[in-house]
Amino acid sequence: MSRSILPHKHSLHKLLLATFFVGMASIVHADEIPQAQVSLMAGTCANCHGTDGQLAGAIPAIAGRPATVLEAQLLAFKQGLQPNTTVMDRIAKGFTDAELSALADYFANINKD
Amino acid sequence: MSDRKPLFSSSRRQLLKGLGLATLFPAISACTATGTSQASAGRVVVIGGGFGGATAAKYIKRGNPAIDVTLVEPNKTFYTCPFSNLVLAGERTLDSIGHSYDELSQVYGVKVVHALAQDIDPVAKRVSLSDGQTLQYDKLLLSPGIDMRWNAIEGYDEAASALAPHAWKAGPQTLLLRQQLEAMADGDTFIMSVPGNPFRCPPGPYERASLVAHYLKTYKPRSKILILDGKDNFSKQGLFTAGWEAHYGDMIEWVSLSNDGRVVRVDANRKEVETEFGTRHQAAALNVIPPQKAGFIADRAGVTDASGWVPVDPVTFESTQQKDIYVVGDATIASPMPKSGFAANAQGKVAASAIVASFAGISPQDPIWANTCYSLINPDYGISVAAVYRVQENQIISVEGAGGLSASDAPDMIRRSEAAYAVGWYNAISQDTWGTKL
Repeated sequence: MSRSILPHKHSLHKLLLATFFVGMASIVHADEIPQAQVSLMAGTCANCHGTDGQLAGAIPAIAGRPATVLEAQLLAFKQGLQPNTTVMDRIAKGFTDAELSALADYFANINKD
Repeated sequence: MSDRKPLFSSSRRQLLKGLGLATLFPAISACTATGTSQASAGRVVVIGGGFGGATAAKYIKRGNPAIDVTLVEPNKTFYTCPFSNLVLAGERTLDSIGHSYDELSQVYGVKVVHALAQDIDPVAKRVSLSDGQTLQYDKLLLSPGIDMRWNAIEGYDEAASALAPHAWKAGPQTLLLRQQLEAMADGDTFIMSVPGNPFRCPPGPYERASLVAHYLKTYKPRSKILILDGKDNFSKQGLFTAGWEAHYGDMIEWVSLSNDGRVVRVDANRKEVETEFGTRHQAAALNVIPPQKAGFIADRAGVTDASGWVPVDPVTFESTQQKDIYVVGDATIASPMPKSGFAANAQGKVAASAIVASFAGISPQDPIWANTCYSLINPDYGISVAAVYRVQENQIISVEGAGGLSASDAPDMIRRSEAAYAVGWYNAISQDTWGTKL
């Protein structure tokens, strides 16, 4: 994770190194995360969205929605751009953009019941 | 049920392919002659049908239906601690928090055995059950929950809990405490004794105080709630105390450890408790939540350490003390993850994935978990704490900059949303764990 290698008061040299690694982290694409890992990561979403993200109620179902819509929504949560959010902003901040994108693809590809 | 339509189609071949395992099992159905229609890819025994065990059993089968999974759980209906505080407040029935094992057996093909696991031989890999059966396993998954440390507080043993319930395992204990609350007269005092860390569901006692206050405010408004605590601060403390003040005035009094809050003796017959420095308090209804440890079967398996809890590998949740025994849920040492139903469910999936991978001879994936824990100040006022966890240098860490508490200055509209989401969460995790449709 890029976060852990960001120094606070270090030399320019280290700062440059850190910048390099941040750059590296941001070019890990969603499709480079192994599918088994995405599937495991998605398991945590089921705790509120139901198995395979299928359950609709006070909390919306996420299965079968377009990947672009899900990804935009997750990124808006992460960036704090979604007004009146209760908890998804706090959760989205713990994932990289690539992970959010992979999760969006994962749920988009599940058939909605 | 038609809602089991995951990533993988129902064909086992395609399912294995989905996991990248197809090449490892080129002819899985032809390799043994057991007489069964489906060759077993391995035998797993799961002990405990709560959030951790039921989830693990389901997700092992979802990962590879050729794995033979037996779930051992004495009760035919599992009552959840989450939302049991609403039962205490008279806002829900006990039935509404009960869950069956029908989905596991009928949809996923888990063999469910209603018996108590009494002993484990980790060398012979055998479990002995109260009904005389023994079960052989390749991998054992324990989700044993908690046992009370009887007599850790003088006078508080199992017999005393029939008079002064803990209600920290839901079911008959919940109903017993509800009866005591109903029997209170207006102006009476309800006392709760709360242990030091670690214990099951860190914010649970304070939600309980809140929802009991909601009941008393409506029916017995001159009554008081006294929380005697074995610690100096607690989960979501600022949000709870602000919510108490706003909704219940001075009905709830919290006494910290430093202010002589720790209960050291209980007289269950008199509903009287005594704290460390000799103060006695008399209650009309008494709730003693005692110190806890991992469920006893963890001891029998040899996976607990001197603390009474279970150290585990953070990537797989395999015991660090016994090979091929995985442990999830409240029994484990998984800090900073809390001892909660949410965490147990999440750990159950991680252990399930590690077990499926291990049978297939491939490495486990690094887990990432999110956790959200809702508490209700009243049925329309919810607060939460969230976190995202990863494994770093073989430790579970809470990701910095993510998670945290509900805003302290959130408007009522947000508190109402969080209360609605708390119900949404309960419905979702019940569906995910037991297949219950709420």
